[in-house]
Amino acid sequence: MTSQPTATVPSPAIADAEPRIRVRGLGKHYGALEVFKNIDFDVGPREIVAIVGPSGCGKTTLLRCIDGLLPHDAGEIMVGNERVTEPIAGVAMVFQHFGLFPWKTVTENVAYGLRMAGAPKAEIERKVPEFIKLVGLAGFEKAFPYQMSGGMQQRCGLARALAIEPNVLLMDEPFAAVDAQTREILQFELLRIWEERPTAMIFVTHSIEEAVLLGHRVIVLKGRPSSIHENIVIDLPEPRTRETLQLPRFAELRERVWSTLMREAREAEFVLER
Amino acid sequence: MSETAVTIPVSVASARKPWRFTDSMIVPRVIVGIVILLIWEFAVRALAPAYVAKPTGVVLAIPKVLTDPVFLKATGETMASVAQGLGITLIFGTIIGVWMGRSLTFDRAIRHYINGFNAIPMIVVLPLFSLWFGYSGYTRFATIIFAAIFAIIMNVADGARSVPREYLEVSRSFRAGRLSVLLGIVLPASLPYILAGVRLAAGRALIGAVVAEFFLSIGGVGYYILYNSRSYHHNEAFVGVLLLAGFGVGFELLVNWSIRRFMPWYRRGDNS
Repeated sequence: MTSQPTATVPSPAIADAEPRIRVRGLGKHYGALEVFKNIDFDVGPREIVAIVGPSGCGKTTLLRCIDGLLPHDAGEIMVGNERVTEPIAGVAMVFQHFGLFPWKTVTENVAYGLRMAGAPKAEIERKVPEFIKLVGLAGFEKAFPYQMSGGMQQRCGLARALAIEPNVLLMDEPFAAVDAQTREILQFELLRIWEERPTAMIFVTHSIEEAVLLGHRVIVLKGRPSSIHENIVIDLPEPRTRETLQLPRFAELRERVWSTLMREAREAEFVLER
Repeated sequence: MSETAVTIPVSVASARKPWRFTDSMIVPRVIVGIVILLIWEFAVRALAPAYVAKPTGVVLAIPKVLTDPVFLKATGETMASVAQGLGITLIFGTIIGVWMGRSLTFDRAIRHYINGFNAIPMIVVLPLFSLWFGYSGYTRFATIIFAAIFAIIMNVADGARSVPREYLEVSRSFRAGRLSVLLGIVLPASLPYILAGVRLAAGRALIGAVVAEFFLSIGGVGYYILYNSRSYHHNEAFVGVLLLAGFGVGFELLVNWSIRRFMPWYRRGDNS
């Protein structure tokens, strides 16, 4: 299992732009356990990079390092000109567990990021309804999380992240906890919103389809400790729509990621989960 | 919510087969209550001297007691002291509890002392308190706080410790400051535990107040009960006892109402 050279292929979306996120030689240990090593990749200012890998490969850990929630112990992460050692301004994360506060209404939850960023009251009152509308939650401003379905809760989580108008969006398996139909709806909603307000985005997912549909590039993490096995440019036409799923090229790319990943998944199945 | 879940099968059942009194929740309760009162009434009439409290005597004494200025003053004194004591307990208990829950060092430093104090029956510290604070309302006040505060501290510490990691992760990701995390996340996330603590503390505070009044012979509902018992006014004393029970039920209703009113997101599993 000699590692293939990890080509840092420039995708069409970033061809001549300065990368927004630069990850170099990143490594992380949990005690004696090495989670990943030698992670190198860039994300352009208007690029979606999807990261796939088998369970336990450290993709969520990698994302938490990039958000500054977890310390890394080798290499460096640059967002713009800032070196990440703790959460920095202009980076927002959407969580698999939604992370909504149950005692806050939709409005209050969406306002949370802005309030923490010290935005003036007038700005919060102007922006919050705008982003609630953007994610399709208009009419539910006063609802509490327990009154909403999983899909609606994640729309709210997305609005909270978007409201701070980040230039980097980190998506941690955001649609993994919702049912299949809702997931599909949310994927296209996300694409629509991204077209409206493009940012640099890292999208961590289990789903190969989701990765190929959303990503301009798909990074496959593999091994223990994991490293980047492939960095595949997804040369599908923009904007991505439901028709994209029917393209022969989509099937081809999906198969390519699938074969890389499944080889790894079969090995991983017989390793005890930590 | 679960009320409908209960009534639907009952109504379906009653449509199918003849109604039986065990189908209702209320009928058996009322019958048991009536039986207890009847046994009490006739046992006292048959066996005890006339001054011993019996249900009819207590009921007849209610209007007299409730208009008695001595009783009203005593009730006001006890309740004011309990309310103030609970207020102070709630504030300091919450601060200490949150601090314990969020700081392992502080928790380790004081955990055993809190558990130790909590295990001391309030009745045994009363002689000491009466020496320190005198035979006065101050001693009652100290007893109320001593009786109530550890229940709050221990509950709040549990709550602050078990704040879901997700909430803390989100607040860190959005760069919340330390104080903002404590007031904006830890405190509201601990609210259910704080309320559980307050429920417990309110009962203990009332017991503390009454016990202190018994021991110190200072004005209040406890002393009113004691004085009337000793002077053969058992029916009047019993009205005082009923008032204490009523206070307990009333406080529980108040807490439940405020949960529904102010914390609609917090739903308890059951309601009986």
